[in-house]
Amino acid sequence: MLDSPNNTVVTAKARPKPRLVTLAINGETHEVMVRPHVMLLEVIRDHVGLTGTKDGCESGTCGACTVLLEGKPILACITLAVECDGMHVQTIEGLSENGKLSDLQEAFLDQAATQCGFCTPGVIMSAKALLDNNPKPSVPQIKKALEGNLCRCTGYNSIVDAILQYSGQGVEPLMKRDDAP
Amino acid sequence: MTDLKFIGQNMRRKDGPDKVSGKAVYTQDVKLPGMLIGRVLRSPHPHARILRIDTSKAKALPGVKAVITHEDTIGVRHGFVETPRYPADQDVLAKDKVAHVGEEIAAVAAVDEITAQKALELIEVEYEILPAVFDAEEAMRPGAPAVRASHPKVLENLANIAGKTETEWGDVEAGFAQADYVREDRFENQLRTHGYLEPQVTLAHWESDKLNVWTSSMGTFIKRAKLSRTLGLPYSQVRIHKTYVGGTFGGKIDLYSHEYCAARLSMLTGRPVRITASREEIFSAYRHSQTLTIELKTGVKKDGTILAQRVRIINNAGAHRGSGVVVIFLAWGFIMGPYRIPNLKYEGYAVYTNHTTRAPQRGHGAPKVRFAIESQLDMIAEHLGIDPVTIRLRNARGPWEELPNKDNTHEAGLIDCIKEVAAKSDYLNKWRQGRKQPEPSSTIRRGIGMGVTTYMSGTLIYPNGSGVIVKLNDDGSVIVLTGALDVGQGAETVITQIVAEELSIGMNDIKLIASDTDTTPQDIGAWISGMTYVTGNATRQAATNAREKILKVASEEMDVPVEYLGVENKSVYNVLDPQQRMTYAQVFSASVAKHRGDTIVGEGFWRTMRDEPTHPSLATTKGRWTENYAFSAQVAEVEVDIETGEAKLIRAYTLHDCGFPVNPGLIKGQVDGQVSMALGQAFMEEVMTKNGYTLNPSWLDYRMPLIHNMAASEDAEVITEQYRIGKPYRTKEVGEGLVSGVLAGIANAIYDATGVRMTSAPFTPEKILAGLRKLEREKAKELVSQ
Repeated sequence: MLDSPNNTVVTAKARPKPRLVTLAINGETHEVMVRPHVMLLEVIRDHVGLTGTKDGCESGTCGACTVLLEGKPILACITLAVECDGMHVQTIEGLSENGKLSDLQEAFLDQAATQCGFCTPGVIMSAKALLDNNPKPSVPQIKKALEGNLCRCTGYNSIVDAILQYSGQGVEPLMKRDDAP
Repeated sequence: MTDLKFIGQNMRRKDGPDKVSGKAVYTQDVKLPGMLIGRVLRSPHPHARILRIDTSKAKALPGVKAVITHEDTIGVRHGFVETPRYPADQDVLAKDKVAHVGEEIAAVAAVDEITAQKALELIEVEYEILPAVFDAEEAMRPGAPAVRASHPKVLENLANIAGKTETEWGDVEAGFAQADYVREDRFENQLRTHGYLEPQVTLAHWESDKLNVWTSSMGTFIKRAKLSRTLGLPYSQVRIHKTYVGGTFGGKIDLYSHEYCAARLSMLTGRPVRITASREEIFSAYRHSQTLTIELKTGVKKDGTILAQRVRIINNAGAHRGSGVVVIFLAWGFIMGPYRIPNLKYEGYAVYTNHTTRAPQRGHGAPKVRFAIESQLDMIAEHLGIDPVTIRLRNARGPWEELPNKDNTHEAGLIDCIKEVAAKSDYLNKWRQGRKQPEPSSTIRRGIGMGVTTYMSGTLIYPNGSGVIVKLNDDGSVIVLTGALDVGQGAETVITQIVAEELSIGMNDIKLIASDTDTTPQDIGAWISGMTYVTGNATRQAATNAREKILKVASEEMDVPVEYLGVENKSVYNVLDPQQRMTYAQVFSASVAKHRGDTIVGEGFWRTMRDEPTHPSLATTKGRWTENYAFSAQVAEVEVDIETGEAKLIRAYTLHDCGFPVNPGLIKGQVDGQVSMALGQAFMEEVMTKNGYTLNPSWLDYRMPLIHNMAASEDAEVITEQYRIGKPYRTKEVGEGLVSGVLAGIANAIYDATGVRMTSAPFTPEKILAGLRKLEREKAKELVSQ
């Protein structure tokens, strides 16, 4: 909150009018008061506190903030929160249920498709959007769906393999689960 | 140790579940109550004297809690190198003058971002513009604008010398005189950024006389040291907490001004302060790679044997010394490592210019050096009528060779790497075929090229050593305390695998507490390619130490000599009577009961080159560099469209001697990532500048490899079996060196495809087309003259 020059609190009136926005994030309803310039990313990370969605560039160039809005992948860092009023948002936290990872997440572990992990939530959300509509995507379709997600660690090979494994297209797990000796 | 259950296995990442579920906490995810937002005021000029700074209006702005300038510091400088020869030359906030666009002048802490930004705009700075210089060779000329005083020990009549490395052996002139063929070439490289996805971000909180810091880094102990010194605090008063790190690639080591500013602002306000760099700031003001210009003269015998080499490297080091004097030292190492050079003269200059300060970048000079040497070697081979594989095998170092600096190549697998990568890629059958037999009517030409390299695995630089503690819980599970930082390379996984193997305990029964300077032992950090080797061996020692204690107690309890005891699945058993056994939980209870409360804590530590007092001389290369050389040979297959000049990497083959592969699946990830970085360096990436200003400060204009650019990548280790026998911890570097061979291989493959020789990176369509046009003109001239 800004302090005013004469040390009184600036009222909401003097500034762009905030709006009450209702979002269904991972199936839970959240009501947040936001000013018109606030991005969906800020709401998700700072207001709601779901920090799995990452903030890599704040300019729509890296894809780390990808979430699903009404099932479609969008860049939360360049999407105004007020435009999402009344909509369903899915974030990476919504993929696992009661702490159990989804098969898509498991496939990323099986292929070691995460290294530093910073792009991973966005990559997985882009992949989920693809797979929800296209259960057996071709490699060109995978590339098209993930072309907005930068990954500096993996060279993308393991990410493609994870999606192929998950969609049952002949890629076997590379990595082993821990089996006690 | 012949039957390995965890070591050498593709175990899934320990940090994987947190990373795929969004639970992994990065610095940008840490939030504290009452947190202030900090921002940094940066120089708008490449070179200017600061005549006056007035912060009074900014301080008076409501919501602003503190403003700092150089006057609020204790005036202690820092640098990547801080030695008597190369004293620190970097102020945390500019004093008297700024020497690059974006240099830090002041910082503010305010209640929110908008207020902080407004405060920056209210700071008045009066500048006297100074003449600036950007080209390194111009900056070296006497009379050039003085960025900083030239180094007093470099006696040549040159300006702006930040440092020089000079070394020679044999008689280089005699070597050239004996040579059947001598050639000289010059290679240039572009400015390239690291491209870490997580921005630079630091949160600092001064509380109860203790500075708590969360920062996106490559090593918490080096950050603690640099922050303590510049703030004038004892090390023990600074605690760097663990966070996961969203990519580094060399760009988050050393101290950054924003880290100091967040800490100082928190000390002044008593509130947490977070500073996040915008992507534009990172592109425009932060540290990128070192650009090396390489002049290379090589003399060979008719059969391709190298007789002599003279190398002169000029590094545009930017406004501070940074790692600029390290890269000119390392360049020498990357030159002399792979091939025998009986006579060598090497000179490397780091030159101050009014560019941003530079940092290490994955490979720290190796890709540029190997691009030059491997390109020229192919040119030499062609002149002599030798194939690229033969000339490399003729010169490649073998095992147990002593190097001129008294290092040893140990079980060097370079020769096997070259042979196997040639076989795997079917090199000699593909070589020279693309140009000879193009598909009719197609504009695509295929080419194949090779590059080899060597890389250090750990060297001596602060903090020099790693300690690890393994402690048993009373339920028989284990907690490991390590200072190692997982920046994505898999440190936590590898450490867990080693403990699991030594104690025969599942990886899920091992919990890691990592990279917290207060609660974990000191660690070398994730930045000198030594973590698996140095911290890995410390881990093995700690686990072995814990196992010895477990066996001793079990031996007493079971009345069986230690040598007849084995460990298996959190239990100790009698080898002669496997039914007789004790669980670790029972051993723990017995130890506490009968050993005066001994809770079974294992300790381990490791230091590379334990008999060397310090690192080698950066000026003369004297002294040992590393006890552990990794070697590799790589092949690139490219396609070049001769109509558009566009080239792309289709496939890369990597054969490496990384010692014993603790986790081949993670190694594959390192290889694929380096192939991707190499193709970005080869074709796409360049930070464009004009008069010190960055022209493309965004990922829209700075093109980094997308999923569309990915190339097929195959890799394999050599001499694994030899390392397996009793030496599963003979580990070497595998995370940095492998950019080099692919970059060099791509350059050679473009030549193979088109006849156009690349001497400057990136290999853009413009350069390739210009080369093709030149070839056409030469051909036409030849026809006319016939």
